Amino acid sequence: MALATESFLHLSRPLAPTMNFHHSMAPLSVAIQPSAVLSILDHATRRDIPTASSRVIGALVGSRSEDGSEVTVSSSFAIPHTENEDQVEVDVEYQKNMLSLHLRAHPREVLLGWYTTSHELNSFSALIQNFFASPETGTFPHPAVHLTVSADPQADVRARAYISSPVAVNPERASESCLFIQVPHRILYNEAERSALDLIASARDAESRSTPVVGDVAALTRTLEQTLDLLERASDYVGQVIDEEAEPNNALGQLLMSALSLAPKVEPAVIDADFNNHIQDVLMVSYLANSIRTQIDLSQRLSTAILNTEGDAKIDTKDGDKEGGGGGRGDRGERGGRGRRGGRGGGRGGQNREPREPREPRENGD
Amino acid sequence: MADLKDAPFKTVQVEALVVMKIVRHCSNSFPTTATGSIVGMDRDGVLEVTNTFPFPTVDVASVEGSHQNDASALAAAAPRAKANIVYQNEMIRHLKEVNVDANNVGWYTSATMGNFVNSSFIENQYHYQRENDRTIALVHDVSRSSQGALSLRAFKLTQNFMTSFKEGKFTTESLQKSKLTFKDILVEFPINIHNSHLLTSFLHQLPVAATTEEVTMPTSLADLERNPVKMPLHMSTDILELSIDPFLEKTCDLLLDSIESHYTELNNHQYYQRQLAREQTKITAWQTKRKAENAGRVAAKQTPLPEDEWQRIFKLPQEPSRLEGMLNARQVEQYSKQIDGFTANVSAKMFAVRGNLLPE
Repeated sequence: MALATESFLHLSRPLAPTMNFHHSMAPLSVAIQPSAVLSILDHATRRDIPTASSRVIGALVGSRSEDGSEVTVSSSFAIPHTENEDQVEVDVEYQKNMLSLHLRAHPREVLLGWYTTSHELNSFSALIQNFFASPETGTFPHPAVHLTVSADPQADVRARAYISSPVAVNPERASESCLFIQVPHRILYNEAERSALDLIASARDAESRSTPVVGDVAALTRTLEQTLDLLERASDYVGQVIDEEAEPNNALGQLLMSALSLAPKVEPAVIDADFNNHIQDVLMVSYLANSIRTQIDLSQRLSTAILNTEGDAKIDTKDGDKEGGGGGRGDRGERGGRGRRGGRGGGRGGQNREPREPREPRENGD
Repeated sequence: MADLKDAPFKTVQVEALVVMKIVRHCSNSFPTTATGSIVGMDRDGVLEVTNTFPFPTVDVASVEGSHQNDASALAAAAPRAKANIVYQNEMIRHLKEVNVDANNVGWYTSATMGNFVNSSFIENQYHYQRENDRTIALVHDVSRSSQGALSLRAFKLTQNFMTSFKEGKFTTESLQKSKLTFKDILVEFPINIHNSHLLTSFLHQLPVAATTEEVTMPTSLADLERNPVKMPLHMSTDILELSIDPFLEKTCDLLLDSIESHYTELNNHQYYQRQLAREQTKITAWQTKRKAENAGRVAAKQTPLPEDEWQRIFKLPQEPSRLEGMLNARQVEQYSKQIDGFTANVSAKMFAVRGNLLPE
């Protein structure tokens, strides 16, 4: 479920100069949910073109495990900022408002840190990092996470995660310097997001960069084709080994053998019986569902159609009387034990008798 | 399904980001209903949905004596709640500052097994569509998506239905006049998922780009298990899952519920009709009596009493709204189509299994 970075060297970071809070020395790991990454990439494409800086920044929001050793970035939001040669300006007010708006919709989430869309770490990065790690406006006493996602059109999209420690040559420069320590990160998705990711990923080879949302059958076809393709590749490999074109490998052979031995050994007669039972169930439900649909459709039509002939004569009391009587009769018939044939004759109360029909499948359906 | 002619756009294009955000929000709050707002713009007959944000959740624990259903009901009503309209405007104002499209184009909701057609849904969509015709409702079905294929659908109310709903009249007569049937309540739009260039580039590297150099062969099975090969992102094979019963069971349950409410609706109508008949009998009796009286008065050379006074004396019962029944019918149609789709899938899978286990 997770796409993790390779093995990682955990450096213990220099401690922040605080006495009151207990610092966990456990290595920190960052899990990023795909929606956060997508949000960052979206922000990167929506940056202001005329500004001097090519990078954009935003805040990371998510949850933190109890001991603080694992953080999960579940979403992010953009923060407007301007940056040039000698100064950086972050819209602090905006960040505060947006965070409070965001937390209203996600009450269990907390501010975790910030992201930017270039790998460069400079003194502005340190300044912003210190802002996000500070006690008043940031994540203190937990370290603020800094995520860099390169959004350079010429290069691969790569992500790096950092935390920081305060470090400075003298007190004056403390606010604009800090030590970034890279921490491992992985992209984490759950079962529910898998189907969405599959669909999004299927658009990656299309020139239009888009794909239609397909129905069940089309999705099944797609999956079957893919599975057949994979099987084809496996059997190609086996064929090559048999023809002595490829190097045989014991481990792969064992793996294939154990996969093949998963096929259950059952009597053909049993399979046949089970198969027939099941398929009949399925088809039965489908048939019943469709007949219910027809019945309800009919009922809807009748409910407007029958009265149509009588609608004009509504005030004419005699006609209305008969109609009402018909209704009463139909109702009585229904209460009298849901007989299937009960009172099928008779013209007027037709629409009242209607509901009995849908009740039949229900008895079978139970 | 109603025609697409009256719609200001033909298809809906949803950014991958929106899909991920909706899926995440809906699955996190499952089984409670989740709702949120979507923003975007429409261009050349395509409604582009480019960003989304959820509505604030109501803290259920703080409300005295509430339970799960209340949370769902509150969340389902969220898009038209006053507080959330303020929230939405505030959020859109903030999103505008970071160059996100600042037009509201509707809302999204989660569903279980397609059970979204109800009056709350209609009211929400009406609330949005009344202000702006170019708004849609996105429905993400959490249960069906877990079966493999993502289920995300876009709906809009038809113009015809909008007019009727505005008048609030769903009597038999008005339905006959407007020729409105349950099939004309909602229009569905085809959805396209769209990725940005950056995202396409990112997806090609997930989880790792396919290696081109020679792969070192594993030496033992344990070796292979310990270091699994990193594969490019493959489609999940969840859709090949053979479990049938839970799905059928659930859908049958839902169908039964629908039949139940259909039955209630009909009973209401029958009650109304009996009531109407009774009143009308009374009116006839009164009219006959009045006629006889007038005849007597005319004979006695007195001025006849007015004969239309019955309208004041008797009150005809109000015809119950047909709306619930129509929605229910639409819901049943939805269920049975869903079952059809499922059956097609399952029978294909089952024949495949049989073919595999029973060699000819």
